[in-house]
Amino acid sequence: MKFRIGIQMRLSAAVTAVMVILCSFGGAFGIRFVIDREECFSHKVEYGNTVHFSFVVIKSEGSWHYSEDGVDLVVKGPNGEQIHDIRDKTNDKHEFVAYHQGVYRFCFTNKSPYHETLDFDVHAGHFLYHDEHAKDEHFKPLFEHIGKLEEALYNIQFEQHWLEAQTDRQAIVNEKMSRGAIHKALLESAALIVASCLQVYILRRLFERKLGASRV
Amino acid sequence: MKLAEARCLWTVLLVAAALVVPAAHGLWLDLPKSGQKCLSEEMRDNVVVLADYYAFIGETYDYNSTIVPTISIKVLSPFGNVLHHQEKITHGQFGFTTTESGSYTACFWVDGDGHNGKSVSVGVDWKTGIAAKDWDSVAKKEKIEGLELELRKLEAGVEAIHQNLNTLMYRELEMRAVSETTNARVAWWSVMSLGICVMVSFLQILYLRSYFQKKKLI
Repeated sequence: MKFRIGIQMRLSAAVTAVMVILCSFGGAFGIRFVIDREECFSHKVEYGNTVHFSFVVIKSEGSWHYSEDGVDLVVKGPNGEQIHDIRDKTNDKHEFVAYHQGVYRFCFTNKSPYHETLDFDVHAGHFLYHDEHAKDEHFKPLFEHIGKLEEALYNIQFEQHWLEAQTDRQAIVNEKMSRGAIHKALLESAALIVASCLQVYILRRLFERKLGASRV
Repeated sequence: MKLAEARCLWTVLLVAAALVVPAAHGLWLDLPKSGQKCLSEEMRDNVVVLADYYAFIGETYDYNSTIVPTISIKVLSPFGNVLHHQEKITHGQFGFTTTESGSYTACFWVDGDGHNGKSVSVGVDWKTGIAAKDWDSVAKKEKIEGLELELRKLEAGVEAIHQNLNTLMYRELEMRAVSETTNARVAWWSVMSLGICVMVSFLQILYLRSYFQKKKLI
């Protein structure tokens, strides 16, 4: 009882540090969009944030394409410097630390002639610690650990979103393959029937011509 | 006395913290001069969605800018019901609870063009599920604060992760079923294709034999 009351008083004073720590998380934005040629997104990032981003190509509109449908992604910082350049990939996941505060641009380029549905997720957050309010040495490591725990949980959610997007892509590929098996069998049977009819027709013509010539 | 002071300090700093988190949050996208740009997200049912959107011109969002472009927005459910529709608006919010699982789309387009050819950008701050929960009202209702509230948030986060994992497991089960069906289909339809090939060639031979016998070649 006594221990609880003691904590309560120190807690209210130190809790402000927690508020500012934990409010610094930028949140995650997982969205899906259809890309035609090029699509750019901007995100404002504070200094020191670790930015995690991932993208997955969910599906491509062309139904009989065989080539790998990848996109290019270029990440540029606020001063125009290139942070990441990813070419021809169907999915990827990266992180970087923002050494400059400002607007970061993520530009996707689609090289294939078909529209593609893309799933993009970006998550910026960092563990910022305001020293001046947490006067109590006992709670400093506790809040540090809670901050780290929150960051780890956000990372797990981010990775789960990426995994979910990849699973969606695989589900679409699986369904296409399943339908493709039937279409292939039907097409093959039709081609065989047409080929054998053609064979019979050609043989008949050959012999009729031969017979016609010899009888006359 | 000390407790009341500390609590006052806490509220002031909470408000300050809310202002530290800038309003220019979220993802910014450029709107084309004609046509719409749509964003979507796959969501299960019974998920709370809160979104905030604002239109601006230029590289970054400037609160004190005098040029305010107007955009229109439409939010659709997976079955095509319009959940939110606004025309000629610069800044707005919407919120809803999902009733069916599927893909929810938000489409933006620019109103007319009086923007001197400059490109209009829209910032979207979109929170779903756990991020959209109103922790202030939970704190007030259950009279918890500080450390306990933060731990409660973490617990909700872990619960959300657990639900996501369940969804992933269910999807994997569906994919496994599709794979098994594909396996069976490939087997049976290949046999059918082979059977048709053999049957057709057999019919071919019979027909040619009767044809040659008719023409007295055999």
